[in-house]
Amino acid sequence: MTTLSATLPRTGADVPAPAAARQKLEFRSGNEAAALAARDIGYHLMGYFPITPSTEIAENLSEMQANGEHDIVMVAGDGEHGAAGICYGAALGGGRVLNATSAQGLLYALEQLPVQAGTRVPMVLNVAARSVSGPLDIRGDHSDLYYALNTGWIILCARDPQAVYDLNFAAIRIGEHLDVRLPVLIAYDGFITSHQKRRIQVFDDPEAIAGFLGVRPDFPSPLDTEHPATFGPYMNDPDLINNKVQLSQAMEAARRVIPEVLADLEAMTGRAYPVLDAYRMDDAEVASVLVNSAAETAKETADELRARGERAGVLSPNVLRPFPAEEFRRALRRVKAVTIGDRADSYGAGGGNLSLEVRAAIQVDPANRTRVLSRIYGLGGKDFYAADAEQFFAQAIDAAASGKVSEPFAYHGATPGKPGAGPRPGLPAITAAEVSRPMAHVRRDSATGRLAVELEPLWKMTSVPNRIAPGHGACPGCGTFPVLNQVYRVMQGNIVVLFQTGCAMVVTTGYPATAHRINYIHNLFQNGAATLSGLVEMYHERVRRGELPASRDITFVMVTGDGGMDIGMGSALGAAHRNHPMLILEYDNQGYMNTGAQLSYSTPFGHRTSTSEVGSRLPGKRYHHKDTAQIFSACHLPYVFTASEGYPEDLMRKAAKAQWYAKREGLVYGKVLSFCPLNWRAADDAAQPILQAAVDSCFFPLYEVEHGHTSITYDPEASGRLHPVSDWLGQMGKTRHLVKSENASILQGIQQETDRRWRRLKAMHAHPDL
Amino acid sequence: MDMPLPHAERFFEIRFESIGGLGAHAAGQVLASAAVLRMGLNGAHFSSYGSEKKGSLVRSFVRLGQAELPIRTSAPVEKPDVIVVFHAALLQNPASFAGLRADGTLIYNARPGPAPQELAALPRGARVIRVDALGIAVRAKSRPNAVLLGTLCGAFPFLRADVVLEELTQEFAGRHPEAVASNERAFRAGASEFETLEAVGRAQGDLPVAYSEPAWGYETQPLGGIIPAPGNTAWNDLSMSRTGWLPLLDRGKCIHCGLCDLVCPDQCLVWADGEEGGKFERELMGIDYRYCKGCLRCIESCPTAAMAKSEETPGLADRLRVPLFPGLIG
Repeated sequence: MTTLSATLPRTGADVPAPAAARQKLEFRSGNEAAALAARDIGYHLMGYFPITPSTEIAENLSEMQANGEHDIVMVAGDGEHGAAGICYGAALGGGRVLNATSAQGLLYALEQLPVQAGTRVPMVLNVAARSVSGPLDIRGDHSDLYYALNTGWIILCARDPQAVYDLNFAAIRIGEHLDVRLPVLIAYDGFITSHQKRRIQVFDDPEAIAGFLGVRPDFPSPLDTEHPATFGPYMNDPDLINNKVQLSQAMEAARRVIPEVLADLEAMTGRAYPVLDAYRMDDAEVASVLVNSAAETAKETADELRARGERAGVLSPNVLRPFPAEEFRRALRRVKAVTIGDRADSYGAGGGNLSLEVRAAIQVDPANRTRVLSRIYGLGGKDFYAADAEQFFAQAIDAAASGKVSEPFAYHGATPGKPGAGPRPGLPAITAAEVSRPMAHVRRDSATGRLAVELEPLWKMTSVPNRIAPGHGACPGCGTFPVLNQVYRVMQGNIVVLFQTGCAMVVTTGYPATAHRINYIHNLFQNGAATLSGLVEMYHERVRRGELPASRDITFVMVTGDGGMDIGMGSALGAAHRNHPMLILEYDNQGYMNTGAQLSYSTPFGHRTSTSEVGSRLPGKRYHHKDTAQIFSACHLPYVFTASEGYPEDLMRKAAKAQWYAKREGLVYGKVLSFCPLNWRAADDAAQPILQAAVDSCFFPLYEVEHGHTSITYDPEASGRLHPVSDWLGQMGKTRHLVKSENASILQGIQQETDRRWRRLKAMHAHPDL
Repeated sequence: MDMPLPHAERFFEIRFESIGGLGAHAAGQVLASAAVLRMGLNGAHFSSYGSEKKGSLVRSFVRLGQAELPIRTSAPVEKPDVIVVFHAALLQNPASFAGLRADGTLIYNARPGPAPQELAALPRGARVIRVDALGIAVRAKSRPNAVLLGTLCGAFPFLRADVVLEELTQEFAGRHPEAVASNERAFRAGASEFETLEAVGRAQGDLPVAYSEPAWGYETQPLGGIIPAPGNTAWNDLSMSRTGWLPLLDRGKCIHCGLCDLVCPDQCLVWADGEEGGKFERELMGIDYRYCKGCLRCIESCPTAAMAKSEETPGLADRLRVPLFPGLIG
C-alpha cells in the first residue's frame, strides 16, 4: 500500500489521511455497484432518464429509497436533455449530483456536457456504454463514450463491477479537487459489465467513506444570496479562449490529482488503479491495447501466450481524460508491435479514437519504433472472446517478426455474407384493392359540422389484410397489437407509419425480420413527430411538382407509447402547432415498458414502477398522470380523442374520423389505453375487466374534441356503470397496495383527482364553446 | 464440509437455455449468489437478452471457480460443463447443445417418455438427465426454475443443495413470502425426481462451439439497414412462447362474429369466405398455432364459449393447426 504524505493537496475540506476501511463481500453487477456507491456516497440528488442498459442504477436506488435506505432526491427527467439540465441546476446549487445514461441518452444530453465543464460545475455521470443509433442497437460498444471525449469532462474507465464501485468514490474527490473542479464521467461496458454479477467488496464503514470524500467545497452558487454573481454570461472572442485555457489547465492538474486520489483509494481498499493498467508489459514485445472488459479477456490470452514463450502483454487505460500519453509512451517504448482495438470507429480517420491517440502519443517519442495495427471490434455488443484476443496478438506477432504491417487498419469480426443468401422473403405486398373497401363510412353532419361514422359488421372487417404480419415478438396478451389491428382495419388506402422507440417498435423490427407489411420508419425516441412532418411535407411538395402521383393518397400515422410522448413532447407539440396533415396515435400502457417498466409521466399516482417502487417508506409514484389529450386539445387541432382497446367499436369510429381529418384538415392526436399484462402484473387474459374498470371509474374517460367541441363518447355515470377507482386498482399487481387500509388516504386522493378531472370534462361536454 | 469443484484449475461453467418468463435468469442468479456468498467460491452470472419481453430466447450463464481464481473474461460460456434446457422445444435447436464438453451433462425439462432423436447429437460420454420440471412445478405450485435448480444440485453434489435452497428462500422471502414453501417443495422434488438416461449421445468428443452467422453480411446487406422484405416475421415460430395452455376452437359453437379477432395480439386467427349460399359470409376456420402465444384473450372475448382453454399436450397444436399462409408457410 502507498504511504501518504500529509502535504498532499486535497479537496477544499480538511480530509484526514485514509486508513484501511472495513469492507464486506457482495455479488453485484456493474449497475448495482454504481447504485450501491451512490447510496454510500449519499448524493443530494440524482437526475436521470431511463435508457438501457444504465436504467438499473435508478431502479436500484428507487427500490432502496422506497425502503428508507437513502434519502437521495430522485428526479425523473422528461428526457436526457432535461435530466442533464436538472443535474446542472442541482450541481450549481452546491450539493453532490449523479446522473446515469447510455447511447442516445448521452448524445441527447451531450449539449449540456461542455457547459458543465466550461462553467466548472462538478458532478458524476455513470455511462453504461452502448452503441449509438442508426440503426438502433441496445448492446454495448464505445461509440457513445467517444462523443464525450471533447467535452472537458474527466473520464474514468471501469473494467468490472468492482471498479465501477471504487471509481465512483474517486470521481467525487477528483472532480471536487480545487485544482480540477470538473465533472467526471465513469464509463463501463453496457450489458457486459452493467449486467454481469461478480464478487465485489463494498464499504461497510460510513466513517471511512466520509473521511475519504470530505465535504463538497463551497464553489460559487446561485443559492449564496450574500455573494450575488452571474452564472453563464455570454462570452465572445477575446475571452472564451481564456476560459478554455483554464479548462485545459484543470485537465493538466488532473494528471497530478488523479494518481493521488487513486493512491488514497488504494490505501482504503487495497485495490490499485494505475492511470494506465499494464499487464505483463515489463519485457513485452507485443501488446494489445483495449478499453474495459475486453482488456480483461485479453489478459487471459496473454497468459496463454506467455506459457507458449511469447512475450505478450496488455495495456488498458483506467483514465481516458486526461489521456495518459506519457504512460503509453513509456509502456510501448520497447514493444515491437501493438494491436489497438477500438470498440467504435472514427469513420474515415483510419482508426478509432484510442488508436489515433496512442499513435499520436508514441509519435513524439523519437526512440519509438512500435508497429501499430488499428482494429475496430465488438460493435453493437458483438462479444469479444479469447479467440478474438488471440487474433489480435497473432497479428501483432506477425508484424513484430516481419517488421511490416500488412493491414494498418481493419474491422475485426465482420461478416461478408454469402451471395444469394439472406433472410426469409417477405409476404406479398398488400394491394390497393385489398385495403380500399370501406369498413367505416364517414359523413359530415351538415348541421353540426361534425363527423358521423357507421361501421361495417366486425366479421366483414376480417377480410381486410392486416398491415402487420404475425410472428412479432410482443409479450403474450400485449394490448398494443389489438390497438393497431383495430385502427388499421378501418383505415383505407396507403398508410406510411412511423413508430417512435418503444415496445411496438422493438418487437416488430428485430433485424433482419420485420412484421410491417407497409412502409415503416423509426428514427429517434423523441423525434418522431418532427421526422414524420418532414416526410408529409416532402410528399405534398413532390406531388405538387408532379414527381409523385397524387393517386397514392397516403395517410401518415405516427405510433408512439406514452414514454415517447414524454421525451418527444416538444417535437410532437411543434408538429401539432404547425398542423401537418398526419395522425399521432399513442398507445398508453402507463410506463416505459420496453425498458423494464419505469415511470412515465402518464403513470398514474401511486402505481408501482421500477423507478417508483413500493416499500416501507414510499407508496409508488408521487404525482398525478399527465393529461396528454388536454395538452393537445389546447393546440386547437381539428380532432383529438381518447379511446381504449377494450371499447373496439368506439376506437374504430374515432380512428376513421382521425383518418378523415388527418387527410383533409391537419394534425390529429389520439391516446389509447393499452393493456400490459407483464408490467401491470395481471394475467395475460385480464385485459377486458381491467380496461373496463379504468373507464367505468372515470379514470380514463372516453371522449373526443372535434373542432374544439368536447363530447364524452361513453358516460359510465349515465349508463349506471360508475365504479370507484378501487375496483380498478384492486385488479392489478402494480396497484394492489393502494387498496390496503394503510393507503386509504392515497386512494382517497386518487379518487378525488379522478372525480375532479371527470367533472371538468363533463362541464366541457355540456358547454357549446368547450 | 465443502465439496471441491470438479476442476481446480479452470472454471465450472453452466449454460441455461430458456425462454423469457421461465425464470432462467433468476435461477442462474440464485445459484451463483449461493456459490459466491455462501460457499466461498468465485463466480460470475449474466444473461443474454434483448428488451424486457416475455417469450423470447434467453441464455443465462454461470461461471464458478476456486476463490483465488480471478475471473477476467466476461464473454458468454462457450464450452459448458452443464447445459440446462428449460423448454423441451429448445432441444430441436442444435445451438442449444453447442460446445458441450465430452464429459458434460445435459439436463432437460420434459415429461417422461423416450429421449427425443435430437439428443443423439450429444457426446457419447455425456450424462443426460430428464426431469418433468413443469409437472413438478404445477404440483408444487411453483415454477420450473426452482425444480431445475434442484435437479442441478442433485446432479452435482458440490453445488450444495441446502445452501442453494437457503439462497432461493432469501431471494423470495422479501417480495414473495407466499412462494417460499412451494419453491422449496419444487426444489426438493427436482433434486430427487430426475431420471438419468443411458446411451443417448452418439457424438465423439466435445461438441463444436457455435457462433451465429448473420443472414446478410457487409457484401450483401441492403444499404442503410433497411429490410426490403415486408412481413417476413411470418416465418417465425412462436409456439415456444406458450406455457402449457392454448385456446381450442369449437366451430359448432362459433357464430363467426369477429370479436376474438379484435383482441388477438398475434394475428393467429384464420378467416375465410363462407360457403356459397351458407349462413355466414365470413367464417373463422381455426387457429394458426405457429403464432399463438397462448394469452387466451380470445377465450375471454368469445360470447358463445366457442373458444376454450386446453392443456397443451404433445402434438396437439400441430394436429389442430390451420395455416394462415397455406402454400407459403407450411
